Amino acid sequence: MAKTSQKATSRPARTIPFAGYIALIPFLLVIIGYELLPLAQLVIDAFIGKESGALGLENFIKVFTTPLYQQSIVNSVWISIVSAIVGIVVAFLAARFAYESSPRVRNAFTMVLNMMSNFSGVPLAFAFMILMGNSGVLTLLGQQWGIPFLADFDLYTGQGLLILYIYFQIPLATLLLLPAFSGIRKEWREAATILQASSAVYWFRIVIPNLMPSILGTLSVLFSNALAAYATAYAVVMNNYALLPLQITSKFKGDVQIDAATGGALACVLIILMVVCTLINNYFTKRASKGREIV
Amino acid sequence: MSTKAKAAAPAKKTPLAAKIFLAIVAIYLLVPFATTFIYSLFVEWTDILPSGFTLRNYIELFGNMTFWASIGRTLVLCLISVAITIVLLLLAMYVVVAVNRKLGRFMQFACMIPYALQGVILSIGIISLYTGTGTLLSNRMVMLFGAYTILVLPYIYQGIRNALNAIDANMLIQAAEMLGCGRFRAYVQVVLPNIVSGILVSSLLAESIIFGDFVLANNIAGTNYQNIQVFLQANMGKSSGLSSAIVVVIFVVVAIVTGIVLKMQNGSQKTAKE
Repeated sequence: MAKTSQKATSRPARTIPFAGYIALIPFLLVIIGYELLPLAQLVIDAFIGKESGALGLENFIKVFTTPLYQQSIVNSVWISIVSAIVGIVVAFLAARFAYESSPRVRNAFTMVLNMMSNFSGVPLAFAFMILMGNSGVLTLLGQQWGIPFLADFDLYTGQGLLILYIYFQIPLATLLLLPAFSGIRKEWREAATILQASSAVYWFRIVIPNLMPSILGTLSVLFSNALAAYATAYAVVMNNYALLPLQITSKFKGDVQIDAATGGALACVLIILMVVCTLINNYFTKRASKGREIV
Repeated sequence: MSTKAKAAAPAKKTPLAAKIFLAIVAIYLLVPFATTFIYSLFVEWTDILPSGFTLRNYIELFGNMTFWASIGRTLVLCLISVAITIVLLLLAMYVVVAVNRKLGRFMQFACMIPYALQGVILSIGIISLYTGTGTLLSNRMVMLFGAYTILVLPYIYQGIRNALNAIDANMLIQAAEMLGCGRFRAYVQVVLPNIVSGILVSSLLAESIIFGDFVLANNIAGTNYQNIQVFLQANMGKSSGLSSAIVVVIFVVVAIVTGIVLKMQNGSQKTAKE
């Protein structure tokens, strides 16, 4: 089938041989101009030393030895890992319960997920300020009712950001995990029950191993989602917190002088983290689809 | 005994535990927006219950010309960027479908890079490359359109590719060719009308992504060309009443677009099944 179609397409057209490729040119120009060259520019920025002006790892050494940048990398990775793990645990339970529910309940729940997955960035940050900011509704209630966790909650710190990040991870994670549950066959539960497997054995030795590729794939999506999130954090703490995307942006768009060298090196660190995530995700989605073919 | 009963019970009925858990998650997800919505309708909220119902915030917002200007800018950005991306991809996919299938892998790779890049890297890369070059390319608007075109690339690419696969575009073109039609004409007159609905869904999704964008607009254009998100961010410190109304407006617009997308997706799935 593939051979015949190739024969048909490789047959010389009536017109000039390469005329067909003209249609690709506008796409290539935009891809080169706004995707590949900007990336290349960042990499070049990163490898040309800020002080020496020579090619080398000077900027990277600076990034990894300056406490502010070290802290940014650590904070970014930490907030991404924690929010991704909390997100996936809640999402797993939610997807499991949604899968067991009647179609009506499931549809209503999916509707909420779809709507609220759009509620992110600056609007989300604002909503949380109304809710848990210095004079937020919950903060005031916490003071009146004497709930220290709410009364003393500080949204404008790492702890506050974590709450926000977890919030936007949950709908995304659940939407990504829900389809995986349809791969769990009813017969497995019956077979497990007949073989006298307990509920725990069924979940931990049949369901979870089966869903593992989807779970790990989703986890990597969540991790990179949190890693690259900028609007939410910026709206809450501006540039006053050590977080990778905030620090990168402030190097290129600050009131102070632009520092493309350090910014480029920081950007490279973020890119490497993101690429690793994408590769992990690709690996697991491939495995997941392979598994399904066998079944 | 009890496990047996559970296993035998049909999955149609929702277990109580499931209901409770899903309700808690749904409430948790809805509370921040619901609070903002209530907040926007009252004069003050310093007690358990808000007091003084008012539409003042909305009247003030809808009478604010800066608000309408930012909405207008956002719409211009949404519509033009998505249109550019669609045209670029349709032209490029013609080459993949009718000239050289091997380019498909390259296209997929090029269109998936923005997924991994996301807003921050994309915006600063473009700023770093073009700022101060003194050409048309250093114009903030040109940069912003370029950035948005790349941002929505993965979504529109997937929409177009799925639509092309669904109708087996290659075969349609070959059939048209046998009937004496040129390839490009076959692509425009036979293939394109068949994939319009598929493109529509992914374009709407792309529109809502640009509508919700803050990173690119803030980093590239900033206060020079405020879109709705930058407008919101600029007002957050000044007036929380007005800001809450903006949040509600943004949410409603995006919710409507999402609703249409979901409805269209469900519709196409149903027809595909039949």
